[in-house]
Amino acid sequence: MQSLQTQETERLVSDPVPGITAEPHDDNLRYFQVTIEGPQQSPYENGIFQLELFLPDDYPMEAPKVRFLTKIYHPNIDRLGRICLDVLKNNWSPALQIRTVLLSVQALLASPNPNDPLANDVAEEWIKHEDTAIAEAKQWTELYAKPTQSEPQPE
Amino acid sequence: MGNVPGKIDGGQETVSRKQHRSESLNLGSQGPKSVNRSRRATSLVGNLLSASGRARSDSYNSSGLNGNSSNPYKKKSTKEKERFREKHARQLVVKYTETVDGGFLAPFGCYSFDKLDYDADVVKGLIIDRKLAPFYTPLQDFDESWTREEVLKIVDGLPLHSSFQQEPEEFEGVPIGDLNDEDFDYLLDPTASKREQRRQRSKISRARLYFKRVSWQERSNEHFLELKLLSRRQPEQKIPTLPSNDLKYTLYKNGAECPICFLYFPMPLNVSGCCKQPICSECFVQIKRAPPHFPHDEVDPTQDEEPDEMKDPNLLVSEPANCPYCAISEFGVTYEPRKDMRTGINGMHVSEYKAADSKDCDGLVSDSSSNEGEEIVAKEQTRRGSIAADDPSVVTSDSIRPDWEINLIKERLRLARKSAKATAIHMSNQLIDPEHPSRHASVSSSVDGRDCGSSPQRRQKTLDELDDEMIQQAIKLSLQEH
Repeated sequence: MQSLQTQETERLVSDPVPGITAEPHDDNLRYFQVTIEGPQQSPYENGIFQLELFLPDDYPMEAPKVRFLTKIYHPNIDRLGRICLDVLKNNWSPALQIRTVLLSVQALLASPNPNDPLANDVAEEWIKHEDTAIAEAKQWTELYAKPTQSEPQPE
Repeated sequence: MGNVPGKIDGGQETVSRKQHRSESLNLGSQGPKSVNRSRRATSLVGNLLSASGRARSDSYNSSGLNGNSSNPYKKKSTKEKERFREKHARQLVVKYTETVDGGFLAPFGCYSFDKLDYDADVVKGLIIDRKLAPFYTPLQDFDESWTREEVLKIVDGLPLHSSFQQEPEEFEGVPIGDLNDEDFDYLLDPTASKREQRRQRSKISRARLYFKRVSWQERSNEHFLELKLLSRRQPEQKIPTLPSNDLKYTLYKNGAECPICFLYFPMPLNVSGCCKQPICSECFVQIKRAPPHFPHDEVDPTQDEEPDEMKDPNLLVSEPANCPYCAISEFGVTYEPRKDMRTGINGMHVSEYKAADSKDCDGLVSDSSSNEGEEIVAKEQTRRGSIAADDPSVVTSDSIRPDWEINLIKERLRLARKSAKATAIHMSNQLIDPEHPSRHASVSSSVDGRDCGSSPQRRQKTLDELDDEMIQQAIKLSLQEH
């Protein structure tokens, strides 16, 4: 089982996805520290979001567990950072990888889906007053997802 | 764990596949022929009866079982379960003497033992029939530039099975006694409660099984190693169970990566029937139906779900496995063995295999790669039409876990039993204690909030109803106990 992940981890490091980083923890190779850049032209643009990803024992037969650590205003992500995303639940397939999962999370930032909400209050606001919701999301990004000095500033 | 004992005969496969196509059974729609208990009482009881009756006859048909002694619904004793697990574990030992085209009948061990709950008899049979790729020992990586000598050196160093943890934390401090003793009751603490003894027993039995597996596998490894050393000392002596260099080189020189586990295996791999994507046998046997569950579209984690006891057990479903690549339902694979190789079981000795052009094997590589080109062209032509899951050449996920249907019905029965017990307790409370709030509530609600005393007739009727319900519940419980 160990071998299955190391192979994937190596490739993740050697062939990274633009805008996404995932690094395994030193003491626990199943635990990854992840950053995702907010997609352009989304309220999360210019934000860098920290996530944690954990590979359960049954990975890849079971989906990885992914959670936002950075606070984010999004109808499909709740206060605890839990994400409502089909590929993390019923639509998981063992042919998916850490890479594809993180790309899906990034895509979710680009296109929020308030009709299948996890954070009900956010979703309600998103449907009723989309402008205010987007402004709120931008403000949260500014407040909580500001890249630190050491990291390159995305243009 | 597979619950269908006994060998599977050849004709079983098509039968079971047809039966397994339906996603969930429509319980109660068909009366069973084999039920010989008198059928009184409610439709629910009827449902339960017909469910178990039908499935019982199904399982007899599909796995060729006979006699009531192997009724899959009968509760197995702890010792029976332990014996069953041991038999299953024995079948998962990789043996160098049991090979098919250079691969094995048991998996290398990329996935944990607990997850190897497929029917080993079925899978072994499929591999021997060349309908499923054998379990090859995987390589972590493969470098095209490796020479023949390098490839052979690496393949010769491969173990039969992935390494076992020496002292798993889980079994630390668990006594295992003498593994040769079949009985280990003496390891239990006689002063402990029954419940505690049961807990101890299950822990000890798990630990014993683990160390037994280690010793069985090690025995096979050691024999294999001794033979390898012997052949190195005396190269002129042919050992029929040791693969020839040509076999090892031909297999591993022409390999591919499984897209799920990223490990490198000899070609050809199994391919999905629907979208023709490769998958190694070790990953294939991991893919199975969802465990029995209530249908849910979206579970809202912020809201409390209705407890499962409150739901209708007949609604439990278990969807067939989807293709991991294209998500089409009823996942199945096909396998086309190499035409130029048939070794091991139902083939020549692995030691006798010679590549087509054995004088110059590197020549063979260019040769075979041009052949491969033709093969690919040939395959490309058939690629357009995907193969239906019920095609006889397709091995479906359901066919290697033929007990999925029994497990689904068992789970329904278990839940029905649970809710019946809960109802019975609830009812008896109402009967025994006239002032019990639940009784009061049910009676007053039945008279639209009027004082229950003012309507003795109604009240009488409710008590009769309660009586009826009690009897029904009792019947239900006794039926389920078998």
